[in-house]
Amino acid sequence: MPEALSVKSITKTFPNVVANDNVSLFVKKGTIRAIVGENGAGKTTLMNILYGLYQPDSGQIFIKGEEVKLSNPRDAIARGVGMVHQHFKLVPSYTLAQNIALGVEPKKGIFVNQDRLNQSVQAIAQKYGFEINEKEVTLDVSVGEQQRAEILKALYRGVDILILDEPTAVLTDMETKELFVMLRNLVEQGITILFISHKLREVLEISDDISVMRNGKLIGTVNRDETDECQLAEMMVGRETLGGRMRKGAEIGDCILHVEGLSVLDNRDLSAVKDVDLELFAGEILGGAGVDGNGQEEFVEAILGLRPIVSGKIRIDGQEIQDLTTREIREAGVAYIPSDRYRSGVAVDAVVWENMISGEYYSPPLSKGMSLVLPEIQDLSKKLIDSFQVMTPGPNAKTGTLSGGNIQRVIAGRELGLEKAKVVIASQPTRGIDIAGAEAIRKMLINYANRGAAVFLISADLDEVLALSDRIVVFYEGKVFDAGYYDEGIRQRVGKLMTSGEDCIDEIR
Amino acid sequence: MKSGSEKKKRLASWKENFADVGAQLFNYLFILLASLLIGAIVILLSGKDPIAAYVALFDGAFGSGLKFADTLDRTTIMILAGIAGSIAFRTNIINLGLEGQLYIGAFAAAWVGFTFHGLPSYVHIPLCILAGVLGGALWTVPVIYLKLSWNIPVLVPTLMMNYIAIRFTEYLIAFPFRDPGAPMAGSPRLAQSARLPRLIQGSTINIGFILAILIAIIAFWFLFKTKTGYEMRMVGLNKDFAAAAGIPVNRSYILALTLSGGTIGLGGAMMIMGFFGRFLGGFSPGYGWDGFMIAIIAQNHPIGVLPAALFYGGLANGAMAMQSATGVPQAVVAMVKGTLVLSVTVKVFIEGMRKRLQQWVI
Repeated sequence: MPEALSVKSITKTFPNVVANDNVSLFVKKGTIRAIVGENGAGKTTLMNILYGLYQPDSGQIFIKGEEVKLSNPRDAIARGVGMVHQHFKLVPSYTLAQNIALGVEPKKGIFVNQDRLNQSVQAIAQKYGFEINEKEVTLDVSVGEQQRAEILKALYRGVDILILDEPTAVLTDMETKELFVMLRNLVEQGITILFISHKLREVLEISDDISVMRNGKLIGTVNRDETDECQLAEMMVGRETLGGRMRKGAEIGDCILHVEGLSVLDNRDLSAVKDVDLELFAGEILGGAGVDGNGQEEFVEAILGLRPIVSGKIRIDGQEIQDLTTREIREAGVAYIPSDRYRSGVAVDAVVWENMISGEYYSPPLSKGMSLVLPEIQDLSKKLIDSFQVMTPGPNAKTGTLSGGNIQRVIAGRELGLEKAKVVIASQPTRGIDIAGAEAIRKMLINYANRGAAVFLISADLDEVLALSDRIVVFYEGKVFDAGYYDEGIRQRVGKLMTSGEDCIDEIR
Repeated sequence: MKSGSEKKKRLASWKENFADVGAQLFNYLFILLASLLIGAIVILLSGKDPIAAYVALFDGAFGSGLKFADTLDRTTIMILAGIAGSIAFRTNIINLGLEGQLYIGAFAAAWVGFTFHGLPSYVHIPLCILAGVLGGALWTVPVIYLKLSWNIPVLVPTLMMNYIAIRFTEYLIAFPFRDPGAPMAGSPRLAQSARLPRLIQGSTINIGFILAILIAIIAFWFLFKTKTGYEMRMVGLNKDFAAAAGIPVNRSYILALTLSGGTIGLGGAMMIMGFFGRFLGGFSPGYGWDGFMIAIIAQNHPIGVLPAALFYGGLANGAMAMQSATGVPQAVVAMVKGTLVLSVTVKVFIEGMRKRLQQWVI
């Protein structure tokens, strides 16, 4: 079979990170190739290079046997490479047809010829067997249909190599099935598909060959018929020696946070957390591993009272908190380091002290009657800035001028500095911050557990979870699986649970 | 020794603040001159003398003690409208309903003023003021209901409520509360006990002006020095952050709308009790919208509202004088105001972009 696309020895580095390390890949025409790997393995970087969004530091790209240089997506499209991103790039108020043909519309004089536009879109859709209501306005249609429009957008431009970045992450099971039928249709018509995922079951269902990436390297490529989920999981997670273990012996106390039968919906009203039970004990660090988007966010938001729950009970020290307000829950002793610090961790346009007192401002000594006691607030902020080593000119500096790591220290200072919390929920606390900052945050969490608080560390960074946790649970498709206490076999157990949930659970035990 | 270095630091930060304020003032001065220049070009193009027009404008606004006093009287409503806009903006609530809230507040105050007779002033005036504040505040209740139960952005409902308010008060003075003796469609006269005491003979300026300045100071204290003000500002800057911290987001929205409506309602009461003496249909040439603009120019700072309101008051008072003296239409003033707001908006926008760019580069 002729080759559709290949790369030789691609290397791409970002400051402090080698995202792609000497990667070579060969894809046959008319096949579906899956690229799998954990977050940060370098999958998306490689695809962005193939789509001309990044230029590699070294290495060659061949499309249909010809060496090419892709300086931007237009080059890539001209060579027949199209990409559908995980987050759609559609204009919500346009019809699907207008989005599909955006920028290359059939014209009548200087105006867009709407009839020809709709006809041409419908023709492409029929050619590839896509069902689409091209006259519908984009914001009114389902996510599945928006995704179809994204794929058609690429096909409309005459693309025959299609890169899909985690296409199933946003879909329901039903929509996923429909997508796979369409992808099969495309392949039969000679289109080549590269497909990024971390859901191994889906990958085995849809692809012909599977390439596994880890830490920027291409570990290997296997044929679908010659592999299984457990082999893939092993390739993804690796057999690294357990270096950098930071956690030493814990004194486990009573159960502090008790979650029973918790079910929660996501923003699209789909089931995100499914009947989850969880116990968190005093003095322990419980690691919450799992690929992003498996219900972690919704779970945490439900505990904090930020998201309504469908059913279930949440108790702190025996007190039911599921019907309390966020403030009451926090007063019951919950500290929270949110995963997206810019969205819900701080107000970047507020000054540092304003972000440091958001949990305390309403009680003495920071306020008296209805007024804030500004000198007390300044003193407390200065104290927290010192003890959490926030690099800032002072409490009156705009928070947005601080680096990510320092903003995270502001949040940590606020949440942990007063040492009141019984439960610390830290969601992706070190994502995207510098090494020193990450190290400092990790030490704070350990100190907190040593003081007898219960720490729930949720992180997609498996190494971090392994380095800090006494016990690990894994989020997979809205369920939580217990991987047990830390020992030599835990990396393997967690890795398998992360990628295939209960399927491997018998094998592990 | 230690306190000495502390003092020095404080002095340095003061100096920095002053430099900052100085740069801001310079910026504003520049924008103001540019806006006037653009106005001058238009006047020139229409074949009139811009210098004469501006001299007449300035003379009409500030030319004598009495003219200045009248300008200050106009400034009263401008201050209250600007504060009303700022309070809502600070909570990230775009209250486009200031005009409607103004009318309802004004009518409520007027009703208390012309319905009750024989009360002493020290009872009647506070009662009228209370009615004005409540009228403006309660007019936002339907908007709050829509926002909290259906999550409808306040933008459209507040705007729509304007038309309802203006037409509704027109109906009230055309039928149930019509005064046949009034020169225009209007309510009966307020009892003398409900009129605000004037400050100077020969000018309409009254104690409302002092009250407005007090309100600006209180608003500053409220927004920046109280727990509730802190909550509202944090909700305005990032509501997800506020929610995660346990700050009551919905309560802040409710307060932002009712306080904003109450403040402009107070402004309506001041106009009726101080200037008109009765409720007149269509009495406002758009003070609510001016408030919106003043808040933008002042960047939602209650103290910044004071000079911006004085400027608007001066323009409003001087425009008439300019038109009668030189024949340059008042519309030119509207244009200068528009250019000014546009320039401030662009300046804020550019600063924001520059910050974002810096973040990207770093």
